[in-house]
Amino acid sequence: MNWPIVYVCLPLLVGIIGLLWRQPSLARRSFALSMASLLTVLALYHAITLALDSERLVLNLGDWKAPVGITSVLDPLAAIMLFLSGFSALAALLYGMFELSARSEHPLRQPLFFFLLTGINLSFVTGDLFNLFVAFEIMLISSYALLTLESNDWDVKQAFPYLAINLVGSTLFLLACGIAYALYGSLNFAHMASQADSLAADPRLLLFSTLLLLVFSIKAGLFPLYYWLPNSYPILPTPLAAFFAGMLTKVGVYVLFRMVTTVLPHDYSGLHLTLAWVAGATMIFGVIGAVSRNFIRGILSFHILSQIGYMVLAIGLFTPLSLAACVLYIIHHILVKATLFLIGGTVTCLNGTDHLERTGGLWKAAPVLGLCFLFQALSLAGIPPLSGFWGKYLIFVEGIDLQQYILIAAALVAGILTLYSMLKIWLGAFWNPTPAQPLRLEDPRWNLSPPSSSA
Amino acid sequence: MQLDTALLVGTLFSVALYLILQRSFVKMLFGFVLLSNAVNLFLLAMSGPPDGKDSPIISPNSSSYVDPLPQALILTAIVISFGVSAYLVVLLYRLFLDHGVTNACELYHPKSGDTSKGEDAPS
Repeated sequence: MNWPIVYVCLPLLVGIIGLLWRQPSLARRSFALSMASLLTVLALYHAITLALDSERLVLNLGDWKAPVGITSVLDPLAAIMLFLSGFSALAALLYGMFELSARSEHPLRQPLFFFLLTGINLSFVTGDLFNLFVAFEIMLISSYALLTLESNDWDVKQAFPYLAINLVGSTLFLLACGIAYALYGSLNFAHMASQADSLAADPRLLLFSTLLLLVFSIKAGLFPLYYWLPNSYPILPTPLAAFFAGMLTKVGVYVLFRMVTTVLPHDYSGLHLTLAWVAGATMIFGVIGAVSRNFIRGILSFHILSQIGYMVLAIGLFTPLSLAACVLYIIHHILVKATLFLIGGTVTCLNGTDHLERTGGLWKAAPVLGLCFLFQALSLAGIPPLSGFWGKYLIFVEGIDLQQYILIAAALVAGILTLYSMLKIWLGAFWNPTPAQPLRLEDPRWNLSPPSSSA
Repeated sequence: MQLDTALLVGTLFSVALYLILQRSFVKMLFGFVLLSNAVNLFLLAMSGPPDGKDSPIISPNSSSYVDPLPQALILTAIVISFGVSAYLVVLLYRLFLDHGVTNACELYHPKSGDTSKGEDAPS
């Protein structure tokens, strides 16, 4: 039953090997790629078998029993998240392989990437609040380093708010751990959950849940604590931006999901209502931010926020169906958002910029890319046959059932504005002819016509 | 003893918060270092006085231990905050080297200089 920890040790090992194997080469990249594929396939196998048998694998590290020892748990939800993290890591690595030649890749990028994956996977399998803190720190430190690794002076300026707010968030998380230990006498999720209902009237629980809400709002980018996100994600290199956009905020949502459904008492309706309203505000403010931006990565970064709003709204409604919708939405969002970032990166490769006023005409130059973008964008906006629709549909049904009409109206408005800003990218980058300067296809792989000497 | 600790934690938190809200980089840095110390002290206070709680290491001679778990947590937290502080120092030094400023106000709202790169210009 050692499987839960394999998902943590394997990327850690690959990261360490990457540190020792200094020079980025095709061999090192293939090694990283095969390890990421191994993780993905393993997680897929576990997700299917665990879901079919509806069981969970529990590992007590060092055989220390639950209230004292550290537990890691692999249940179907964790396995699904592990599959998604592995899969988006694979996509990011593949994209990075084709974007940059091995010689121009920074030697530390790949080890740091795998340390980031270690932190993400640990936060999925851990069954212990303090271990979750450690997982978040591994994840954050790697993300700080990746954010500033290949940055210029303007980028560093944008990285500082990310660092500062996450430092405060980590400190608050540690504070929450201390309060949890005083309150429950244990940091084990299962142990805490068994005591949750007897503590429901304790005023200290209010403090604990407020702190947790604050911490995970920072991690997930909820209103009004989202300012760090839309400025810091666009400075990352494309494959890393896709991975960050797909996974990092979703770790916050996943952990919020775990906390609200297991550790905190189930009849804590004030907290759920707060979550739902905060989510509504996040949706609206995120999508308005997206409408105001005019470069692809900026628009997509703001969209992360409004989509996070849908997921947290589903948690806040707190019915079995809406929680299922939340899981569905997380799966949909990770895949779609990572893909859209990669497409945005390809547009940047092709045009030398992703500024919508200076791109255009890509529909003729790269129709396959345009088709990919169209499907992903419509799915993000929630057009019926595509995956984004079903999560939204379930959330709407539950919201109308609970008579939260204002929140449902906010979700609808956010959906329409999402469609609008996706259309803006579509028109700007793909459909419209290039206004001022001619289209510069810098990457020969997308260049269908024979290359002209002036380009 | 508990009251003393509570007062000390409160003071540390307020001083750290005050320092973090300053504009000078050095003051912010000290603020973050103090903040992590304040939290560590808070964790220590959570273990409470030695009141005979069981510890995982059983010795036949003594029965009254201070709860060791918060101390293990603090050790881990100290290491992590050390690493993050080191990173913070390097980042602030890099900001100083790149922009020649030691102050967040000058960094984000330069008085003069190039305005070609606006707040939302991509790299």
